[in-house]
Amino acid sequence: MANDLKPMPRLTSINRPFFEACNAGELRLQRCTACAKHVYFPRVCCPHCGGGALEWVAVSGRGTIRTHTLVRRPQHPSFFPEAPYHVLAVTLEEGPLMYSRLAGEAPEDADLIGRKVRVTFSQEAPGQKLPFFELA
Amino acid sequence: MGPGYEGVYVVGTGQTTYEKKTDKPVQRLIWEASNLALRSAGLGFRDVDGLGVTAFTLGPDNVTTMTEHMGLTCRWLFQGLYGGASGVSGMLQAARAIQHGDAEVVVIVAADAFDVTSHMNMSRNPGQHDYMGPWGYGAANGIFAMHTRLYMKEFGATREDFGRLCIAQRENAMLNPNALLRTRMGMEDYLNARPVADPLRLFDCVLPCCGADAVVLASEAVARRLDVPLIRILGGGEVHNHPADDIYRFSAGWETFAGRMWNTAGLGPRDMDFVQLYDDYPLMEFVQLEGMGFAPRGGAGTLIRDNDCTVRGTLPINTGGGQLSAGQCGASGGMIGVYEAVTQLRHEAGDRQVPDARHGVVAGYGQVSYGRGLSASACVLGRE
Repeated sequence: MANDLKPMPRLTSINRPFFEACNAGELRLQRCTACAKHVYFPRVCCPHCGGGALEWVAVSGRGTIRTHTLVRRPQHPSFFPEAPYHVLAVTLEEGPLMYSRLAGEAPEDADLIGRKVRVTFSQEAPGQKLPFFELA
Repeated sequence: MGPGYEGVYVVGTGQTTYEKKTDKPVQRLIWEASNLALRSAGLGFRDVDGLGVTAFTLGPDNVTTMTEHMGLTCRWLFQGLYGGASGVSGMLQAARAIQHGDAEVVVIVAADAFDVTSHMNMSRNPGQHDYMGPWGYGAANGIFAMHTRLYMKEFGATREDFGRLCIAQRENAMLNPNALLRTRMGMEDYLNARPVADPLRLFDCVLPCCGADAVVLASEAVARRLDVPLIRILGGGEVHNHPADDIYRFSAGWETFAGRMWNTAGLGPRDMDFVQLYDDYPLMEFVQLEGMGFAPRGGAGTLIRDNDCTVRGTLPINTGGGQLSAGQCGASGGMIGVYEAVTQLRHEAGDRQVPDARHGVVAGYGQVSYGRGLSASACVLGRE
């Protein structure tokens, strides 16, 4: 039943280390060896300086909610049973912005902008855990 | 002051019937709008030597195979890959080609046969599909809900501020026989509509539909032979991936070229008889008004409150109802404003005609990827 399965990322040589680290319960990002800035989403080159040497490093898993929405009408039927839920834009401590979901409960009308969060991992498909964030 | 678009004229425009469903293939919609636009110019397909096409659902066809489909021999082609910014971008790029003699008569057309499912599935780019989709982000509604919430918090904007603009556009749509949503909408209707992705509700979101819009550009030598009002591109610009390092600056870059656009035109925001904005969400209309200098950053809500944005008002915006009330035919959402602007400047807008419209501005916006649209465009049009 295709409609029961959540749409999962297309794994490529570029993004596989990120999603494999998620399965190991670790948040890893690319970091540019030239300018030392962290990069997300995964790239073939550094979007900050154009450098071509990116390394994968573990990060803190801590961040701040930049903005969020309560999704009531998901883009795919596999999410319908869970709706409504909070989708978050999290500014990670290391700099990059990561879209994710709130782990745990918050009121539907909660103002979460500026709240501190920490990463947790959720089994979203048989072979894939994804980073969610819980209020710190 | 940048180089202008002298020697190029907008000589025709066309729009198909907008429909919620259609059996017509997108190729047919492209032909229909192109044919209407050419006929409005007094030209035919045999006159065309340049073609620009934007359509999300055209693949595996493309602009080149469309020349084969329609029997055109072209010297210049453009395929819009900037989503809803493509219509204006295509016009500006076509104008440069015509100025340099690479084409004489160019059709710029956008079309799609869309419904809610295709609207929700439209984006297969990695930014959305791989890094937002698995978290159930709610497609474009979720993306722009997050922008809207942050804007409301930073600038104190209210739901009513957005509602005033949506309601004015609905009043304009009620005068447009081709608009799909023509029922009067009051503030209570807007505020209490079905919630989609907080703080967005149903009437903050476009109605996906089927149709096409087209415009014809021609060299001065061709244009002077035609019996049509002469409309010129007075200035314009486009920018992509701005700012590169921050998704939440309430900007897609209109302010980076607006000064040059207005200087080239020799006009400013106050000289515009109407404004056609890319209204995928009312928040983005606020951002465009601010980026093009109609209001300071965070000030669009006040601007809307202080003006009447209907066709009879002080600041007519989206005079045909826009995508929010006429409908969004996929990529044609980037052309509906062009069609409407040219129709207004030709004084062919019927009941919704802005009296004696001489000057207007059209903005485009699109290619939504990781959390935002990447492409912004705009142009100023004027009737000679």
